[in-house]
Amino acid sequence: MPVSRLLYPLYQLGNPQLRIFRPNWFLTLVRPGTEQPPDTVQFRIPMEMTKCDIKNYLENIYNVPVGAVRTRIQMGSNKKRNHRNQKIKQPDYKVAYVQLAQGQTFNFPDIFPEKDKTPEEGSMEDMEQKFMEDERQRQKLDPRRGGVTEWFGL
Amino acid sequence: MGERPPLAALSLCSPVSAVSQCRALHTTVSRRGLDQFFDHPENWGETNVKSGAPWTAKQLRTKSNEDLHKLWYVLLKEKNMLLTLEQEAKRQRLQMPSPERLKKVSRSMVRVETVVKERETALRLLQTGQEKGRPGAWRRNMFGYAYWYRYKEYAIPWYMNKRYKRKRFFTPKFVQPHIRLRLEKHLREKARSATLQRGTRSKLKEKFPQMKVSAS
Repeated sequence: MPVSRLLYPLYQLGNPQLRIFRPNWFLTLVRPGTEQPPDTVQFRIPMEMTKCDIKNYLENIYNVPVGAVRTRIQMGSNKKRNHRNQKIKQPDYKVAYVQLAQGQTFNFPDIFPEKDKTPEEGSMEDMEQKFMEDERQRQKLDPRRGGVTEWFGL
Repeated sequence: MGERPPLAALSLCSPVSAVSQCRALHTTVSRRGLDQFFDHPENWGETNVKSGAPWTAKQLRTKSNEDLHKLWYVLLKEKNMLLTLEQEAKRQRLQMPSPERLKKVSRSMVRVETVVKERETALRLLQTGQEKGRPGAWRRNMFGYAYWYRYKEYAIPWYMNKRYKRKRFFTPKFVQPHIRLRLEKHLREKARSATLQRGTRSKLKEKFPQMKVSAS
């Protein structure tokens, strides 16, 4: 584990601002479940992060102009049960709604578009596909018998 | 004079064993920073995305501190991108393309951290003679165990800290019989395992007289 139980220095009024090198926090951009205004971006963030942390993170690392940040903690359900009838806890996570400044908008893109999967000639996939089609053709019954199985005599 | 190309020299994969078809080296051209949370648009919808080997500690030790600092952020952005991809795949109920990339990035980050820590301890030893950054002491807890207690920063002194005083760092007298019993149990277990091993070895020896026993 890289940073195990990091202890940040205690803050008292008048201390210099804490600067963190090599932050160990990872954000996950998620598609909003309910409809959000066009300038709002939704993130899943670690529990230890605050609104100021997210603002600084996005501004310094990603150069994204951040307006307002609102956070909430989503409870993971404890309702599911396993084969031993024990309750299974889904982990809790914090959600941040970030509003972009300077009138920018963000639309969550479609990352899994339908791609035409035609394998090129001579490749492994092409040969596999041809082989599978051959096999299927062989398993098919005699077309001259009109779809009737061999079980019936004649 | 030493104008380095901004992130082009630091690819996510180690330079020695990188696959040649690893993503084309053009630096981030995205207008908005949020595009860095997603892969190149050519890779959207693919089932396999090629990636190179993770960084090893040996390779990282050859890099300078600035390079390691920049590499950390490169790896951080890549990990964020992979996490968004994973979450979106779960949402769309599709398989994430090449999930082993996450493990590679995590391991590279761990290795960067170890190398940086090594350098920090070396510097600290040279400058101050201390090998640990955080001060600590050997203390004995209530159960008789001695352990390395690492100091924590408080705003008030220890004699005013009620919660700290409840944690006793000495062994009360009534715990001594329990410690003796614990020691006896431990010795008994060791003796039992030794006799068991000797017994199995002697049985095997009489079945297979030419058996070579490893000296352990």
